[in-house]
Amino acid sequence: MRRLLADRLVWVTAAVVVIVCALFAYLRVAG
Amino acid sequence: MKFTVRGALWLLVYLFFILAPLVALLFGTLPRPRDFWTEFSAAIGYAGLAIMGLQVGLTARFRFVTDPWGEDVIYHFHRRMSLFATALVIAHPVILFVAFPGMLWLLNPIEAPNVARWASLSTYALIALVVMSLWRVQLRLRYEIWHATHIILAVVAIGAGIIHMIGWGFYLGDPWKRALWIGLSAFWMLLIIYVRLIKPLFILRRPYRVVENRTERGDSWTLVMKPDGHQGFRFTPGQFAWLTVWSTPFKITGHPFSFSSSAEAPQGHVEITIRNLGDFTSRIGGVKVGEKVYLDGPYGAFTIGNPADMHVLVAGGVGITPMMSMLRTLADRGDKRPVILLYGSSDWESITFREELEALEKRLELKVVHVLAQPGADWKGEKGYIDAELFRRHVPQPYAEHEYFICGPDPMMDAIEKTLGELQVPTSKYHSERYSFV
Repeated sequence: MRRLLADRLVWVTAAVVVIVCALFAYLRVAG
Repeated sequence: MKFTVRGALWLLVYLFFILAPLVALLFGTLPRPRDFWTEFSAAIGYAGLAIMGLQVGLTARFRFVTDPWGEDVIYHFHRRMSLFATALVIAHPVILFVAFPGMLWLLNPIEAPNVARWASLSTYALIALVVMSLWRVQLRLRYEIWHATHIILAVVAIGAGIIHMIGWGFYLGDPWKRALWIGLSAFWMLLIIYVRLIKPLFILRRPYRVVENRTERGDSWTLVMKPDGHQGFRFTPGQFAWLTVWSTPFKITGHPFSFSSSAEAPQGHVEITIRNLGDFTSRIGGVKVGEKVYLDGPYGAFTIGNPADMHVLVAGGVGITPMMSMLRTLADRGDKRPVILLYGSSDWESITFREELEALEKRLELKVVHVLAQPGADWKGEKGYIDAELFRRHVPQPYAEHEYFICGPDPMMDAIEKTLGELQVPTSKYHSERYSFV
């Protein structure tokens, strides 16, 4: 269960990182 | 969850540290924009490097980093994030190669420019680091060798990544942004210097002396230690420390062990009970009285002290050590709340602390249930392993009012954690600690 908790933290972090990276690219292309 | 607010704050701060340096690149002087996939590839490269750089901060034993979630969660997070960072670092060139196959020549170490060679070195070091961590046991790597290699590969991966990033220079052509990333890199390196140099210096000034090395049942030994020239530290039952024997804190030879003594022991005395598991632990019996040792601690959120009508302790094998610390402390404090200890051992003769548990049953409202995997013919108690059925048979209702502590082999932990979930016990009411989180 504790590992599950850590895994959830990782998934949340990974999702935020990928979204921010995509947003970064979008903002750059959109100027 | 018990630490909702602190945990959420922790996550926000962590996200800030790995993403703010990337977002900062969007401000100030900007180079010409490229296509979406090139920009996305660059962004995940920066994010991957920032995650890698901060990895050492997670395992640097800062209490403000580990306390909101507990060491086991943070170490597991550290391991999983290294996989994610590796995926980002690998995806960074793969996206470019798919979008622009003409760039594949950069993989050729003979023809490629230095800036690409650094990137390759960083990626290969990172892959080696992950492979050695995931399959350390299968590769038969000794813990000490693995730990030293782990740090060297991490420094190479991060260092080469930084050189690649600065050498490529697209966003970092702006001196302010270059300064920001160089400063950030210096911060990561300082973390490594702190962990490997500054912190060991503090530990070196607070040594302990072994005053007794006691042989215990179950191929185990208890080291009794007292502070040498200082006051020692206070710990909470269930916590652990990193023990260094026959060496100095500068060498990478510290091993984490739970305290087994009472938190109320006088004059800073602490005890650690260690079972012979074949590695470094097999030599503990040879530690001499008077030997100088070093303790880095206390750490850990696997602790008693929360409101509960009774304590339920579930221990398998050497998982008994933190439980002994809890029982001894409860006895010293005159705590009369009921305690149930489900304790799995191999056979009757190998039950570590067997006699003392019998004595503690007289001092506490304690019920000990021994579960033997290889019992003798005359054994009338529980046989086999601690599983869900045995757990339900011995633990009374109301389940959600008790506080649970579980420490032992993975199959036992998985079975009990699953059962607690089925019994609707809130996660804040149970604490589990795996043998090996490193």
